[in-house]
Amino acid sequence: MSWIACELHTHTLHSDGRQTLRELAEGAVKLGFGAIALTDHNTMSGLAGKEEIEREFGLTIIPGMEWTTFYGHMVTIGLSEFADWRQGGRSGIDRGIAEVHRLGGIAGLAHPFRIGSPACTGCFWEYEVGDWNAVDYIEVWSGTFPSIRTDNRRAFELWTAKLNAGYRIAAVSGRDWHEQEDTDEPISVTYLEIGEEESAVGGHSDKLPSEERLIRALGQGRACVTIGPLLTMTLEAGGEIWPIGSAVPADLPGTGGTAPEAGEAVRVKLSLDFSVRAELWSLPGQVFKLKLCSNRGEEASLDLPAAENIGRAGYSGEDLRRLEREAELPGSHTAAPRIWLRAELWGTVRGAYTRIAFTNAIYFDSEKEGGGSR
Amino acid sequence: MELLDIQGSAVPEQSRTHIRIPFELQAGADRMQIRFEYAPKILEDREAALDLLKESYERYILPEQREQAIARADRHLPLKNLITLSLDDPNGYRGACHRHDPVQELFVSREAASPGLMSGKLEAGTWIAMLSLHCIVTETCDYRLRIRAVAEEEPA
Repeated sequence: MSWIACELHTHTLHSDGRQTLRELAEGAVKLGFGAIALTDHNTMSGLAGKEEIEREFGLTIIPGMEWTTFYGHMVTIGLSEFADWRQGGRSGIDRGIAEVHRLGGIAGLAHPFRIGSPACTGCFWEYEVGDWNAVDYIEVWSGTFPSIRTDNRRAFELWTAKLNAGYRIAAVSGRDWHEQEDTDEPISVTYLEIGEEESAVGGHSDKLPSEERLIRALGQGRACVTIGPLLTMTLEAGGEIWPIGSAVPADLPGTGGTAPEAGEAVRVKLSLDFSVRAELWSLPGQVFKLKLCSNRGEEASLDLPAAENIGRAGYSGEDLRRLEREAELPGSHTAAPRIWLRAELWGTVRGAYTRIAFTNAIYFDSEKEGGGSR
Repeated sequence: MELLDIQGSAVPEQSRTHIRIPFELQAGADRMQIRFEYAPKILEDREAALDLLKESYERYILPEQREQAIARADRHLPLKNLITLSLDDPNGYRGACHRHDPVQELFVSREAASPGLMSGKLEAGTWIAMLSLHCIVTETCDYRLRIRAVAEEEPA
C-alpha cells in the first residue's frame, strides 16, 4: 500500500485565486505533494490543459469544484461533469449531494465554521443536512497551521459528534490555497492510501496515482492528516488486519462490539513515518503523546519521547525512518460498545499544545443494524 | 449586435438570491462580449459596517469569543458587496466568474473564453445570464449587464 500526499482545496485565477494551474502545480510539487484537487469556485474551466501539466510536474490533478453558495461552501471532487450549485435553498443540499454522487463525485463540507456573510459570503455551513450518511467528508482543518484555530476545532468536534452518532464520514485538511505565498506556518497534508497495484496508471513511464483511486480512497475513509509525520494504524481482530476506513464485523472476537461478554483485548498497531516529505517539516524535541480515541473518549495515551527535533533527519537525531508502537485496548461490553476508533498525535508546536496528526476512523459494526452508511 | 443591456438596483434584502436573465442568441456569432459591473463595491460607513459584523458574530462565533472578535473586527473590514455572474447556453452550464472585481469585461468564443467561463460553440437559442447576489451590504447597489454578439467580419 502507499500513501499519497494530497492537497484537496485549491483555487486559480479561474475563480478568485491569484495563480495559474501551472504555478499551483509547481508550488504543490515543491511542497512534496503527489496530488492536488482543483476546486475553483463554481467553475471547472481551470482544468483546461491539466493532462499536460500533470505530465510536466508528475502531479495528479483531481477535477473538482467548490460549490460557493449562499448557505455554505461544499468541495466536490472527482466529477465527470458539472453539477449545478445554484439550486435549492437552505434545505436543498441533499439533492445537490445526490447529483454530485450521480456524476461520480464525492462531496465534503468546506471550512464549515469559518465566519459567514458579510465577512466571508456563505462560508459558514448553514445548510440543513437531511441525511448525514450522504456527506462523504468534512474539511476539519482549513488553512495553514490549522489545528490551533477555533473554527477548525469546531469542525473537528462536528466530525467527532457525527462519528459518535454512527455516521461514517471522512475528515481531511484543505489549505484553501489561493496564491503562491511564502509561509513559515506548518502546512497540513491529507494522505490517501491506494494499493500498490493501483498506484500507477497506464503503461507510460510517468506513473501517477489515478484520480479515481484517490477519490475511492477518500470515499472509503482511507485518509490520514498531519502537519508532520505520517501517522497510520491497523487493528488486529479475529486473526485479521483491519486498516483505516474499514469496518470490523460484529461477530469477530475481541472487537469491542456488542458481544454480551466483555470481549478480548483489541490490539492496535500504530506507525509513524518520519521520512515523508523529507526536509519539508520539523518539530521540536519533546515528549509527544500518541492517543487512541473513540466514542468512549480517550482510551489510551503513549509517551513518545524525542530528545531532539524530529523531521528533516528522521526521529530525534537517529536515522530512524519509522517508529512502531502497539497498544492494547480492553474489549467492550453491551453498555458502551465501541463504534469507531482513531489515532492522534499531540505535542507542542510554536508554543501551543495541539494535534499534530490524526487518522481517519476504523469502524465497528454493531449487531443490531449491521453497521454503517456505505 | 447588442443582445442585452439591463440595469437594476439591488438592496440588502436581496442578498442570497439569484437574478435570472434569459436572452436570445442568433446563429452566426463568433464571439460573445459581456460587460458586467456594479457599484458601490464597499460599504464606507464604518459604524454601519461594525453593526453588521456584530450581528454576524452573534450568529457565527462562539459566545466566549465574541468580545475578542469585536475587538479585532478590522480584519473583516471593509465590507464589500459581492455579485457574481454565471452563464448557461441552451445545452447547459458555461461557467462562472466568482471574483470580487466590480467591473468585469468577459468574452466567450469557440476557441477561448475569459477565466471561469468555458470556450465552445456559440449555439443559437436561449442563453441565461445569472447574477448571484451573495451579499449586498450597502443601502443600494446598482448593477448593469451588457452582452453583445460579434461576428468575425464585424469589428469588436
